[in-house]
Amino acid sequence: MENLVKFMARNLVENPDAVRVSSRRIRDGMVIQLQVAPEDTGRVIGKQGRVANAMRSVLQAAALRRHQQVILRIR
Amino acid sequence: MSSQSYEFSAKTVDLAIEQGLRELGLSRDQVEIQVITEGSRGLFGLGSTDARVRIIPKPEPVPETEPQPEAAAQETAPEPAAQVREPAEEVAPEMAPEAAGATEAGETEAVTETGAETEREEATEEAPAPEEAEPAAPEEFGPEQVKELATELLAEMLQLMGIRAQVVAEWAEPTEEQSEPPLLLDIRGENLGVLIGRHGETLGSIQYLVRLMINQRTHRWHNIVVDVDQYKARRAERLAQMARRMAEQVVRTGRPVSLEPMPPADRRLIHLALRDHEQVYTESTGEGERRKVQILPK
Repeated sequence: MENLVKFMARNLVENPDAVRVSSRRIRDGMVIQLQVAPEDTGRVIGKQGRVANAMRSVLQAAALRRHQQVILRIR
Repeated sequence: MSSQSYEFSAKTVDLAIEQGLRELGLSRDQVEIQVITEGSRGLFGLGSTDARVRIIPKPEPVPETEPQPEAAAQETAPEPAAQVREPAEEVAPEMAPEAAGATEAGETEAVTETGAETEREEATEEAPAPEEAEPAAPEEFGPEQVKELATELLAEMLQLMGIRAQVVAEWAEPTEEQSEPPLLLDIRGENLGVLIGRHGETLGSIQYLVRLMINQRTHRWHNIVVDVDQYKARRAERLAQMARRMAEQVVRTGRPVSLEPMPPADRRLIHLALRDHEQVYTESTGEGERRKVQILPK
């Protein structure tokens, strides 16, 4: 899951090397935290969160098969 | 677990369940099903309501990876790679899909070539020799390169999602209406309903992300369409059929019918399907997610 987020983020930003992804477990799944260079924030969030939500929906699909819940946070 | 549930509606409870399972790519024994409304035919076609069901994927006691070896449990015996999956999952989630993917000869083509942790992926194919310096001189992206790049990106995304599938890419033929034909990326494999999602929402997200990635790389907008086993192509036909059926009902009863909420692309297909109908016209009402098409008598 973390690698999926990393892959998506790295391919959306200008500074792939600044992409940081971490995660922690919660009861039914995991919380994934994504951090990018400040000037890239808009590229991973998008207008009205469209990009972030698209990534969430891809994560959700991947999680469904593992019967997990995944929460994506961006800072 | 119980937090994940999906609702589906159709003419009857059975049809709703069937459709739901297909979209989720799960089988009957992998889910719990709650009937929300039975649906009714209504009197003389008035007030008929669709049946609604809620489908909740069951958490498995032993968390499983994707394709359930359903009835054919015997044939899975000698696959050492298959065991790697679960324990490794949390620590290194990327191990599972890769190990699994690699065992399937034949369908791996697009999927396997992506290494575990490729820090920098360049399209190396056509770079003839390691020219000194100028590491990534602004490449020219012709149709072939765009196609290759898009295929690679999508294949890697699927692999990281833990999905075994093949990507078949092809530029559509130009037509009179479309001077710039789209690049079609069709994802093929078994049980891919999960990639489609409710009303194709997941598929839409995948397509959006692939477009952005290509954009980011080529600095140019390309019309890219991502499909799953030609779901979109077939859906267009299904929607048009449904529209015609509902139009008949409107003509028969003289009463307007509201379809369930749909994304813009689907609404457009309905409007188009009934554009030249002599006895009904169509209108969209509602806002945002709730926006839907109404079919009204002329």
